[in-house]
Amino acid sequence: MILVIGGAFQGKQRFAREISGLEHWADGQSCGKEELDTCDGMIHFHEYIRNRLGEGLDCTGIPERVARNNPHVVLVANELGCGVVPVDAFDRRYREAVGRICTGLAAEAEAVYRVVCGIGVRIK
Amino acid sequence: MFRVITGGSGSGKSAYAEQCVLDLGPAERIYVATMYPYDEECHARIARHRQMRSRKQFSTVECYTGLECLQVPAGSVVLLECMSNLVANEMYQEQGAGEGTVEAVTAGIDSLLGQAGHLVVVTNEIFSDGLPYDEETARYLRYLGEINARMGYLADAVTEVVCGIPLIIKR
Repeated sequence: MILVIGGAFQGKQRFAREISGLEHWADGQSCGKEELDTCDGMIHFHEYIRNRLGEGLDCTGIPERVARNNPHVVLVANELGCGVVPVDAFDRRYREAVGRICTGLAAEAEAVYRVVCGIGVRIK
Repeated sequence: MFRVITGGSGSGKSAYAEQCVLDLGPAERIYVATMYPYDEECHARIARHRQMRSRKQFSTVECYTGLECLQVPAGSVVLLECMSNLVANEMYQEQGAGEGTVEAVTAGIDSLLGQAGHLVVVTNEIFSDGLPYDEETARYLRYLGEINARMGYLADAVTEVVCGIPLIIKR
């Protein structure tokens, strides 16, 4: 598993394409729940989490599920925990969930990259 | 050499950038200031930065928009601060490039690279707060992100400053 994180608009997607060579990506913004088990790579993974939370699903088991069902997937997610605590309760839950899930995935991943100014730095 | 220095607010990126310029040795030093003095707060910030630079022998030139037209002495060491201001000026000032901001700023950087001996650009890390922004602010983030990534591609070195500590992104 490879995890690519970074701030918004940093060139994460392009970097992930370069290092993985993958051409077909699921889009977390629009894909269904099951695609996480079957896709080769997923962009906007943070939106995937947001959508599942919006459906009322419990997301805590996602890292284990990915490790079990799709251990070679490439996931691309925004880092979004470096601001003020959101006023809205759902936003708070979403922000923390993305942080916790990415932390869990990073523990399982063979490589984690953080992209700044279009450049991926391998942090694991 | 082309260096890009990024970091959050108050991270010490300006002081680090100035030190990078000094480390390049004696040279004609040009400081390209991009912050438009809208109000008292801007004036105070500008005064603080002027004070920081006062003993470092910089000539300051203001450039709020139209970086491509800026002439600097051939072979000089140029410090441009800050890209986040320049992008906002191009997007929102009357004479700015508006929707052509990314192209205008990119051409400006290319122009400076063609003239200066060394170029150091300070930019801003404002992309990781996870907040949903209105369309206009999101566009600003997108433009600045695209310019940062483009500069990162061209740069010989990219450094992220955290608590005054330089982290190497690219060397």
